[in-house]
Amino acid sequence: MARGENSESHGSGNVPAAAPAAVGKQAPAAARGADGQSVVRRLQSELMALMMGGDPGVSAFPEGDNIFQWVGTIDGSAATAYEGTSYRLALSFPSDYPYKPPKVKFETPCFHPNVDTHGNICLDILQDKWSSAYDVRTILLSIQSLLGEPNNDSPLNTQAAALWANQEEFRKMVEKLYKPA
Amino acid sequence: MHLDDADGALDSWARFCSLSGELVGGAGDLSVGPRLAPVVADLCARGLATLVRDYFLHNLEETFRNNAVKMFWQKFHPYCNSSAVERIKFCVQESWPEDVLSIALEDICLEKSYQEKCVLVLVHVLQSYEEKTENKLKTVEFSSSLMPRYQLMVSSVLLTTLPLSFPEILNIYFKKKLEELNTMMDGSDETDLACHELFGRSKVSAWDSKMDIDGQETVISESGNLVRNIGKVVRDLRCLGFTSMTEDSYSSAIIWLLKSKVYELAGDDYRIPVLGRVKKWIQAVPLQFLHSLLAYLGDSVDYESGLSGLKSPLASRPSSFPGIGVPSEALLRWHMRLEYFAYETLQDLRIGKLFEIIVDYPESSPAIEDLKQCLEYTGQHSKLVDSFISSLRYRLLTAGASTNDILHQYVSTIKALRSIDPTGVFLEAVGEPIRDYLRGRKDTIKCIVTMLTDGSGGNTNGSGNAGDNLLEELNRDAENQENADYDDHTNIDEKQAWLNSESWEPDPVEADPLKGSRNRRKIDILGLMVSIIGSKDQLVNEYRVMLAEKLLSKSDFDIDSDIRTLELLKIHFGESSMQKCEIMLNDLIDSKRTNSNIKTSLLRTFETVAGQEETEMSHDVLDATIISSNFWPPIQTEDLAVPASVDQMLSDFAKRFHQIKTPRKLLWKKNLGMVKLELQFEDRNMQFTVVPVHAAIVMRFQEKPSWTSKTLATEIGIPVDSLNRRIGFWTSKGVLTESVGPDADDHIFTVVDSMSDVNKNSIVNESCEAFQMTEDEGESSVASVEEQLKKEMTVYEKFIIGMLTNFGNMTLDKIHNTLKMFCAEPSYDKSLQQLQSFLSGLVSDEKLEMRDGLYLLKK
Repeated sequence: MARGENSESHGSGNVPAAAPAAVGKQAPAAARGADGQSVVRRLQSELMALMMGGDPGVSAFPEGDNIFQWVGTIDGSAATAYEGTSYRLALSFPSDYPYKPPKVKFETPCFHPNVDTHGNICLDILQDKWSSAYDVRTILLSIQSLLGEPNNDSPLNTQAAALWANQEEFRKMVEKLYKPA
Repeated sequence: MHLDDADGALDSWARFCSLSGELVGGAGDLSVGPRLAPVVADLCARGLATLVRDYFLHNLEETFRNNAVKMFWQKFHPYCNSSAVERIKFCVQESWPEDVLSIALEDICLEKSYQEKCVLVLVHVLQSYEEKTENKLKTVEFSSSLMPRYQLMVSSVLLTTLPLSFPEILNIYFKKKLEELNTMMDGSDETDLACHELFGRSKVSAWDSKMDIDGQETVISESGNLVRNIGKVVRDLRCLGFTSMTEDSYSSAIIWLLKSKVYELAGDDYRIPVLGRVKKWIQAVPLQFLHSLLAYLGDSVDYESGLSGLKSPLASRPSSFPGIGVPSEALLRWHMRLEYFAYETLQDLRIGKLFEIIVDYPESSPAIEDLKQCLEYTGQHSKLVDSFISSLRYRLLTAGASTNDILHQYVSTIKALRSIDPTGVFLEAVGEPIRDYLRGRKDTIKCIVTMLTDGSGGNTNGSGNAGDNLLEELNRDAENQENADYDDHTNIDEKQAWLNSESWEPDPVEADPLKGSRNRRKIDILGLMVSIIGSKDQLVNEYRVMLAEKLLSKSDFDIDSDIRTLELLKIHFGESSMQKCEIMLNDLIDSKRTNSNIKTSLLRTFETVAGQEETEMSHDVLDATIISSNFWPPIQTEDLAVPASVDQMLSDFAKRFHQIKTPRKLLWKKNLGMVKLELQFEDRNMQFTVVPVHAAIVMRFQEKPSWTSKTLATEIGIPVDSLNRRIGFWTSKGVLTESVGPDADDHIFTVVDSMSDVNKNSIVNESCEAFQMTEDEGESSVASVEEQLKKEMTVYEKFIIGMLTNFGNMTLDKIHNTLKMFCAEPSYDKSLQQLQSFLSGLVSDEKLEMRDGLYLLKK
């Protein structure tokens, strides 16, 4: 039935089959183009907000001439094992941001239960709990607070998770592995 | 037969030996000759000619070495064997090397000439033998080669036994002789010059004129004797085979003398040209000497052939040497060599001192002119550039030098180098480091604008003379430009154009091909100044701020000089960029008219409304400067409550203005302007010209004699700390006194009614005054360009901090580009220079650091 209708419209319309397909293809491409523009605008306004917000201890800036690649900096909060440290991050935004979360990695080696040796971070809002309401600023602040309050239930670095209980030893490990940028 | 023959040969040989020994060893007895002939002929016939010659020469050599040479060197032993210190003693003796040298030379030459005669005897003998046996060509060589061999022997013997210090002795000898000659000539030169002074102070060369004075002739003959003596020594030395050593000695002595003469003449005085005098001296002393010497030695006879054979650069030169006639080629060569050396020496001397020369440039222009000529001759411009840049770096471009001084030196450099090299190639090279350095200074623009607009050229140390300000430069440039325009319009005939193209010359080889041809490199001082700043807009902006400041502080409306300046600036920067400034000036002109207009109309209203007579002040005392604030730089405003009577007057004025100029309204900037006050006390009157705040403060004391600072501040409508700052003016003048009130930070101010009270406080006040003066100067009514820029840039400051946080360090260019790329909202529109000056502001605020051209956050 459906097939019949399809073929009928095909015949009567006297339009080459490729044409609607082409239109169909073009539309999302154009939409993506428009999206691309809006993504750039969104990232620009996030940059502006981040710069003007002036949150202490977190910062990020596009790297080179590509606004989809950012470099972030997070200072360890006071009264945690990370006090006095400063970590460099790499943020990579997908082209369908903010519908998909950015990929965030530690560039500076970080000894932390939820950060593996390659710098990958296990943080729910960067995975399944992502919402387009988040932005660079909230991501950075979340990671900053993650440093002080790790989720020891699903560790990427089991050694760190085990050591967490002993803050003094933990602090020593953090310092040992910390290589400032 | 064979034996017989051998015996005969031996016999002949023995006889030859004894005879030659007699000849060589004999004291002037040449009669051995005839006896020698048969013996030599016999030996030659036996084919022993070579042996004869060699033996004879060896014999001569032994004798020469043992007698003459030993004697000769012995004469110099005392000097050669002494230490360096003792040698100086020798040099001091007046006739030291001269006497020894001439005696020694005489002796040895006597000996040599005797030996030469001996040689000739043998030559004759051989010749007569050869004539007899003409077919034997082999012997011909012996007779003719004997003399040269002997000469070679003499010089080799001498040279192998030469003491190391003999060249030194020769050197000293020639130096002394030349100095003697120099003083002789100098003396004559002076008398000659003195003569010329009498004849109307003409500075014609002494040697251009005929030397017909008696004194002159004696000098000539004296110097002739001297040269003859030297010539004799030279000839003797040559005869002994010291030709090249002698030449070296006297030429190095001449060069040395020339050098010391150049130093003596040039010295550290840059106000007189020396090149001409040096040239004159070269002709007067060394060339005269060389001429006489060469003539004496007979070297210069070949000049006729020399000149005809060699027409090249030498022949084309004007060959007039006073007192010499047609110069020989050797002399011409010497002349060129000496002149080149003089040019080079003078050039090196001047280049070394170029910094000082340029410091007192207009006075030192003769030195610059000399240097120019030297460089044209030697072509060592790069030397100048290198040396001057290094002295600039070392002496001028340091933190200790004020921007004003650097700018003045820069202007002088431009002027000086412009005269050396009109194409500006070297100026470009030299100016670059100065410009780079000035760009890094914050007050550069301000100083340039001050130099431009102030008659004094912004010169604060008082040494600025009228010829040293940029405004005048502008004037002159403007005139030149007019002239050039005139030329363009009248002389566009093809002939002129052709002549212009004919006179084209290529750039100097040192020109940077990337910088384009000279047409684009016209040396325009103003243009060069602007190029320091980067863009004319910045300069214009700074000028606008300064103009605003100046106009606002004017109490009369006399702006003629400002109009003139503006017109000149327009020529350079174009009408459109100066438009705002023009409006500002027009505001002032309009203000003057409007003022009188309003005043007369107000006066009329007052006449109609009688009874208002007792108004404390008439409107005559008020002059308003009415500005179109859109075109003025942002003006600093401060709330101020002026006394009611003044306020009334102001609002009357404003109302009237609105009536006349509807729909325009007048908004008073009450904190700006000038107030002339007369304060009357019990025992004195005092007059002041002060800013409105000061007036407002002091007028409050009419109401009651003492105020606490807090109530006074609220009354006047300014913050307490600002009041405390301002009221210091009156306490320092002894009008008010300050005492601590009930509250610690609330002071009580009281009017001082009689002088006796003032004296009590005078000591305190004096120290206060100095402080106050600086405070006052710091206050300005217009926001400066830097402040404006700072305000505009604060948006970007956070971006800059943000990027530096994440990238660690960045170059100026990278910061600039990143801002351009990502700063969208208030889009980034500043120039690189503006960013640089903003960043250097952040550096001085200790927010940033700068290391190796990289900016980073201060930790």
